[in-house]
Amino acid sequence: MVHVSVTRLRQSLLKVVVAILFAQWLAGPVIIACADEPQPDPAGISTGDKTSAYDAGGASFMISEPTDKSAPDYAKNKKAFDDFQAQVAKEPLAVKLADDVGHLRVATNFSWTLLTGYLVLFMQAGFALLTCGLVRKKNAGHLMMLNFAAYVFAFLAYYVCGYAFQFGAVAINAAPTNLGGIPTLDKFLIGSGSWGFLGGKGFFLSGPGYDAGSLCLTLFEVVFMETAGYIIVGAICERITFWAFLLCEIFVGAILYPIFGCWVWGGGWLSQLGTTMGMGHGYVDFAGSSVVHAVGGFCAMALAVILGPRIGKYGPDGKPRAFPAHNLVFVVTGTFILLFGWMGFNPGSTLGATDLRISVIAINTNLAAVAGAASAMFLWYYLFGKPDITMACNGMLAGLVAVTAPCAFVSPNSAVVIGLLAGILVDVGVLFNERVLKVDDPCGAISVHGYCGWLGAVCVGIFADGTYGAGWNGVGAATYLGKTGLGVTGLMYGDTHQFVVQIIGATLCVVWAFGLTYVVFSAVNAVRSMRVSKEVELEGLDVPEFGLPAYPEDELVDAGSVAA
Amino acid sequence: MKRIDAVIKPSKLDQVKAAITALGLTGLTVFEVKGFGRQKGHTEMYRGTEYTVDFLPKILISIVVADDLVEPMIKAISDNARTGKIGDGKIFVTALDDVIRIRTGERGRDAI
Repeated sequence: MVHVSVTRLRQSLLKVVVAILFAQWLAGPVIIACADEPQPDPAGISTGDKTSAYDAGGASFMISEPTDKSAPDYAKNKKAFDDFQAQVAKEPLAVKLADDVGHLRVATNFSWTLLTGYLVLFMQAGFALLTCGLVRKKNAGHLMMLNFAAYVFAFLAYYVCGYAFQFGAVAINAAPTNLGGIPTLDKFLIGSGSWGFLGGKGFFLSGPGYDAGSLCLTLFEVVFMETAGYIIVGAICERITFWAFLLCEIFVGAILYPIFGCWVWGGGWLSQLGTTMGMGHGYVDFAGSSVVHAVGGFCAMALAVILGPRIGKYGPDGKPRAFPAHNLVFVVTGTFILLFGWMGFNPGSTLGATDLRISVIAINTNLAAVAGAASAMFLWYYLFGKPDITMACNGMLAGLVAVTAPCAFVSPNSAVVIGLLAGILVDVGVLFNERVLKVDDPCGAISVHGYCGWLGAVCVGIFADGTYGAGWNGVGAATYLGKTGLGVTGLMYGDTHQFVVQIIGATLCVVWAFGLTYVVFSAVNAVRSMRVSKEVELEGLDVPEFGLPAYPEDELVDAGSVAA
Repeated sequence: MKRIDAVIKPSKLDQVKAAITALGLTGLTVFEVKGFGRQKGHTEMYRGTEYTVDFLPKILISIVVADDLVEPMIKAISDNARTGKIGDGKIFVTALDDVIRIRTGERGRDAI
């Protein structure tokens, strides 16, 4: 009986998938057929023309016609437009050249965005090594499978709907002009204007999503989502079943990550709080301290709470016990691969090499990494008499996580301070989780990505010095706080509003990621336990879950010599 | 004929081996072993939590010698494996009934 119902379930699931694919195939041409909609450019021929030609300060080559006749500077703008038109009529060759300049500008930015995206992709190898090294030998194969499957299934979920939810309305408030603007992604599924809650175009990366500019963004953003997907592995490993893990990954890739990402990066309501409520530049998270890391970290925390600690982690007296890392070589190698990948993560988030702020971002990112490693290591040295290499690695990642949001808006000195703070927070966070909350987090993912992610987003509101980001989220393009060209500004440089909105946004991120994950997976866990059986956990998950140990030479029976 | 089993620190193996082969030893078997003595292992810290290393890695060398070589061997092993600190190891000496060389079938003292 059970077998029959499982077969039926499989058949109906298959039917649903086929129906969705068929509907998508039908809808694709229909969307293209609507003449008044912006047309996608799958060939990449028309992406980037004279409208994409900007000078170093971000001023466009083109001057657009002013539409609001009641505006005070209408006459001035109208004259500038008329002069420009006259100039264009006299020098058609210059306009044609501007088309080439604009196209080359977008092409340069494509190269940068794609290459940095590939660097971020390589971070998955770093995560795999780091988390595998930090667990016990008997679960190393299981960790490798989790890391592998995370990439595969979260990617597919993001392809189906995650990208559309996150960036389906990006053209409305947050058009990435460096990539040609992506005008085809212009619809909120829930909300509208400055109050968007969910993007609604680009499902299955087809129709409006089948566009060179859009897919360039997709490549970069999908590897960011994967990072959030990998973070949870560190906290739930050594005890979760494979089917439950796949559900977690699909949940992160399709729902949890894209929705918060839409609010901050997709032109959603959080990013627009500057224009709607006068709160600084709206909620600002440059490369994802909160959008990527805090979402992953607090999702991981909720899952770790639901799963409970590993058997034997806490003795009968409630005191924690240590399960030492099985391969420090993996841990350190993985950490450096992550540092290397972060050189794509943060500088790449400009989505363009024509934004020369990338050098500042790269240095800030490195400085915070080494400062975080130093403070985490020395605090540990002071507390316990010996520096712990796994905590030093956590400290380096903590510095990276914390500087991810502010990296573009702060000076190198501030980056060092942010790194030092993160290194201290990660140490305290690991001890707090282990001794006070008693949440079992084998790799420190909650402290590194959750706590330091929150810290990073708040640091934007403290340390941003106003040198970068004029006009960010549509705020203060001309002047801000009475100064021309002032960008995102923090508490130390006189903008309290920015500080407040950063606290609100970062804390909302925590509530969102922890809350939704906890509700959804408590329900899942109530239907069927997400945890492996006691026997499996004690034996190690490698063989019971996947039939193969990570280190078969450790097994006493050697099949090769028996055959000989 | 006696069999000598000595548990020593892994870092002392090369020194001990050099000393006992200099005495005319013809064969040596080495095992990588783990265990504890009166100290019962020792404690370390990992990510802020203390843990006990119950079984410490040691080297067990096993040799078979003629009776007249037993005391010089014991002295050579002791002198070269000693650091004076806890964990230097132990030497066990047992009587041995017979030894057979598989290739030639020689027995007893000739087979050592």
